[in-house]
Amino acid sequence: MNESWLALLQQAFSLLLSFDPDVWSIINVSFSVSFAALLLTLIPSIMLGFVLAFSHFPGRWIVTNLVQTLQSIPTVVIGLLVYLLLTRNGAMGDLKWLFSQNAMIFGQMLICAPVLIALSQAAFASVDKRAWETSRTLGASWIRAIWTVCRELRVALLLAIVAAFSRILTEVGCSMMVGGNIMNVTRNIPTAIALETSKGDFAQAIALGLVLLILALVLNFALGSLRGKALPRSH
Amino acid sequence: MSQMSSSQHSQIASVNVTNLVQQFEQRTLFSVDSLTFRQGDVIYLQGDNGTGKSTLMKILAGLLKPTQGKLIATGFDKSAWWHTNSLLGKAVYLHQHPYLFDGSVRYNLTYGLSRRELQQPTISQRLHQAIEMAQLSQLLDHSASNLSGGERQRLAIARAWICQPKLLMLDEPISNMDKHSQKLVLAMINLLKMQGTGLLISSHQTCGLTALCQQHWHINHQKIHTSQHVPNLDTQQDNLAMEPSYVLAK
Repeated sequence: MNESWLALLQQAFSLLLSFDPDVWSIINVSFSVSFAALLLTLIPSIMLGFVLAFSHFPGRWIVTNLVQTLQSIPTVVIGLLVYLLLTRNGAMGDLKWLFSQNAMIFGQMLICAPVLIALSQAAFASVDKRAWETSRTLGASWIRAIWTVCRELRVALLLAIVAAFSRILTEVGCSMMVGGNIMNVTRNIPTAIALETSKGDFAQAIALGLVLLILALVLNFALGSLRGKALPRSH
Repeated sequence: MSQMSSSQHSQIASVNVTNLVQQFEQRTLFSVDSLTFRQGDVIYLQGDNGTGKSTLMKILAGLLKPTQGKLIATGFDKSAWWHTNSLLGKAVYLHQHPYLFDGSVRYNLTYGLSRRELQQPTISQRLHQAIEMAQLSQLLDHSASNLSGGERQRLAIARAWICQPKLLMLDEPISNMDKHSQKLVLAMINLLKMQGTGLLISSHQTCGLTALCQQHWHINHQKIHTSQHVPNLDTQQDNLAMEPSYVLAK
């Protein structure tokens, strides 16, 4: 068994290091879709997190709870919702996005946004109010004041971004349902791992799993080094 | 609620508030019919804890919207049309425990300058003066989070000074400070006074601070009382200090 594991690992590494076109096409789809979803969601979600933390509009409590609930909705349910919206008779059927990367991006945006909003709201809620007041009283425009507050909270906000990115990069349900797992088009790492495992082609599944593991390591080390610099502050 | 009149640079800057009522939940914190804070005024703001001294300062700085009342600011540079709150950045408010941004002393000192359209020589000159005044030259590239209480306060005042505000509000500027830092801060406040900056200072300590003041605002029984006479608080506090409040065990 140990030998077969070693052989599988060896095959997995050779697939990665020999730049196997199939494997790298899957990696490319995965990263391009997830980066696009993250980039499109990032600024509006962080702004909404800021608004929810700082303003006191009627219904804020409901919106906060709704966002937090959306975080825990299974990705297949979001996949189902997006599928129903994008299907030929659906509300967004005219876009003809079903089984395309656009559909995957749309679905991942819906998965990513609640995580970003909730975690950035929590980060902003923890900020010292004097940071905002000091920035404003020294003449900063509100955009610069928001940027200053974000800078003060950079570790917490980066953590939110990494958490959201990890969630969309590793989700299977939504991508499988709305992407259709089409090779070179919508097959990403999680859907490929699921498919290859069901086919018994473990080498490719392990190779792709390794990519996710390496990514997780890189992101955590990068965050860890940032967190190391951000020592607790005395006010 | 607040508005800025277009005015010339030479005009004396002031913030005038009329029919001000500030409530906290259902409780009235303070009210006043009319109050004016002008450039050149040095006002001592007195009030017990919780009477709303900081709140009043934040209202005058445009950081807080009053429950009721109208604020008119005159004599400042005209704000851009997109600035909804024209008071912000004009009358500068300094917290009792100043907030220093994560970064170096230099970053904090120059924070307020980036929006102001100043030439590089002017920026360098102001920076140099501020460093000298606050005696922070050795700490310029140090992290602001490592400064002591007195150094933090000096940095915060220097950071405000560098912006050359026409009106400055100092909330307990020398509380919990050693004699050396108190002396430096008093010198900085004195310099601001000589430059004609309008100063509104709240303090529980006297130590020469009230001696600089020419007017007295007192928040008492939910009203703001104004007078041209600054009471001799040293005598009041000395009397209080002489009253035995506890007995030391021998």
